[in-house]
Amino acid sequence: MTFFTVVIRSLTRRRLRTGLTIVGISIGIAAVVALVGISRGFETSWQAGMNSRGTDVVVSSMGSALTPKPFDASVIDRIKPIPHVAETCSILVELISVESADMMIVSAREWGAFSWRNLKLVAGRLPNDASERAVVLGKTAAEVLKKKPGDTLQLETEELLVSGIVDGGAVVENGSVILSLSLLQEITGNEGRINIIDIRVTPGTTPEELKQVCAQITAAVPETRAVAAGEHIRDSQAYRMISAMSWGTSLLAVLVGVLGVMNTMLMTVFERTHEICVMLAIGWKRNRIVRMILLESALLGFLGGVVGGIIGVVGVKLLVQTPAMKGMLEPDLRPELLLSAVAIAVLVGIFSGLYPAWRSSRLTPSHALQG
Amino acid sequence: MMNTNPEATEAACVFEAVGLSKDYDDGQVRALRGVNFRILQGEFIAIVGSSGSGKSTLLQMLGALDHPSSGSLLYRGKSLTEYPDLSAYRAHEIGFVFQAFHLLPTFTALENVQIPMFETNRSASERKQRAIELLTLVGLEHRLHHFPSKLSGGERQRVAIARSLANDASVLLADEPTGNLDSENTVLILDLLIRLRREKCFTLVLITHDMSIARQAERILTMKDGSIISDARNHEPAPLK
Repeated sequence: MTFFTVVIRSLTRRRLRTGLTIVGISIGIAAVVALVGISRGFETSWQAGMNSRGTDVVVSSMGSALTPKPFDASVIDRIKPIPHVAETCSILVELISVESADMMIVSAREWGAFSWRNLKLVAGRLPNDASERAVVLGKTAAEVLKKKPGDTLQLETEELLVSGIVDGGAVVENGSVILSLSLLQEITGNEGRINIIDIRVTPGTTPEELKQVCAQITAAVPETRAVAAGEHIRDSQAYRMISAMSWGTSLLAVLVGVLGVMNTMLMTVFERTHEICVMLAIGWKRNRIVRMILLESALLGFLGGVVGGIIGVVGVKLLVQTPAMKGMLEPDLRPELLLSAVAIAVLVGIFSGLYPAWRSSRLTPSHALQG
Repeated sequence: MMNTNPEATEAACVFEAVGLSKDYDDGQVRALRGVNFRILQGEFIAIVGSSGSGKSTLLQMLGALDHPSSGSLLYRGKSLTEYPDLSAYRAHEIGFVFQAFHLLPTFTALENVQIPMFETNRSASERKQRAIELLTLVGLEHRLHHFPSKLSGGERQRVAIARSLANDASVLLADEPTGNLDSENTVLILDLLIRLRREKCFTLVLITHDMSIARQAERILTMKDGSIISDARNHEPAPLK
């Protein structure tokens, strides 16, 4: 029998209580994994979409909404002359309900610009020109909307032809309805307005030069902000808000976990007062009792962390398969996130065990002779 | 009245109490009133007295489970207050046998006996081997993997005795060890304690209110109202029938 056996035996004596405590922590940890995984996934998915389009700089006016505020499309004339700006693509992106999908990315791109070039046709064809009243669907969007080339798609009040299905090389691209900029401007009454400009810089532009390009664009078009594509999402207020809410909710969930473990460990100490006194009477040092209680609570945290990690991963995977979320993002569930979640759970366990451990260390062995 | 034994010598003296007192509730309850005595190496002493006489308090002092209010208690010539770590004293010098056994309910007999050995340098396999030897010594080799709830009262006390000997204690303090046992098991447990004391030469301090049990000891301290009122040699210990 090892010291660890003693710890395990203490936890298994009240299996239901131990189980419920683990469930309590695991819900908190599952929330951490799910919310952080989704908010990071939001960032990486949009990032991947930009990489797929070959965008180096994004010009937008990111407010607190999920999509940027529209601005005048003519600002492009002030951007094109800036050194290192090789190509531009004006975009109007909206998150709107499309037929059976509650929320879908509708991405309208300047006809002929570079953002069309990454789209690989899976079926059908691209629209013939900017004026054709047709859309192409990313392959996930087509799956969600149950459309094939030749079908029609109701977008706002317009019925448009689905001319083709494309593979955009990224979750966000594949989850989008893609059409020409002028068509969406007309449908949504946003003539002459865009909300994003994707920019490609000349090959060989250094990161320092890229920063200068961003600064020059922001100076030339003060109503917008230009950032390197890698920082675009992180820079947005909406993402910051989502991220802060994720961590805030996670923190609350973890706090509930702390209270759960603390309650369980206090109950354990109260219930085992006499037993702990006997251990002290037969020679156990107080620090061994403290270690025993802390190891028990750390183990509760660890088990809660592992179970919570599994619940979080499975939950998020199921969530992104729902019609409302499909194609919107790919959750970022890197092993580091899971390891961090388990580490947080162990720390929660240890922290929660501190007070009960201190209480147990204050017991006097003379109580062993009573009762 | 000084109740010291005239035969005691410094070298053989295990415990020496001088003016040992213990008060509770800010002096309103005086559990021990300036007790003086010596206990020699290898002695079998019974401490008798009615309930509230102070015998259990005295046992707590000897086992360093509580601190005296005044006076001194020396263990092998050294005051217990000078011990930097009383848990080490309890772990290595003292073995406890309680009236209510106080075995840990979630551990088997074999595991209960190993519990005190965590404070030694023995490896897990050595602890287990030692526990098997001790349980064999008390006749429980066939009950190693039984939990306390599956053992009879007599068997539980035998496990407790094995546990008290786990770290080769030189003093065994037994607080009414037969108090919860029937007459048959009382005889068995007392015989076991006496046999083990002979074999292992430890000092046995046994608390009882039963004179027929006390008469098996070599020396009987009688307590009343927190004082020792007699310290008598028992030249003809009478075995229980």
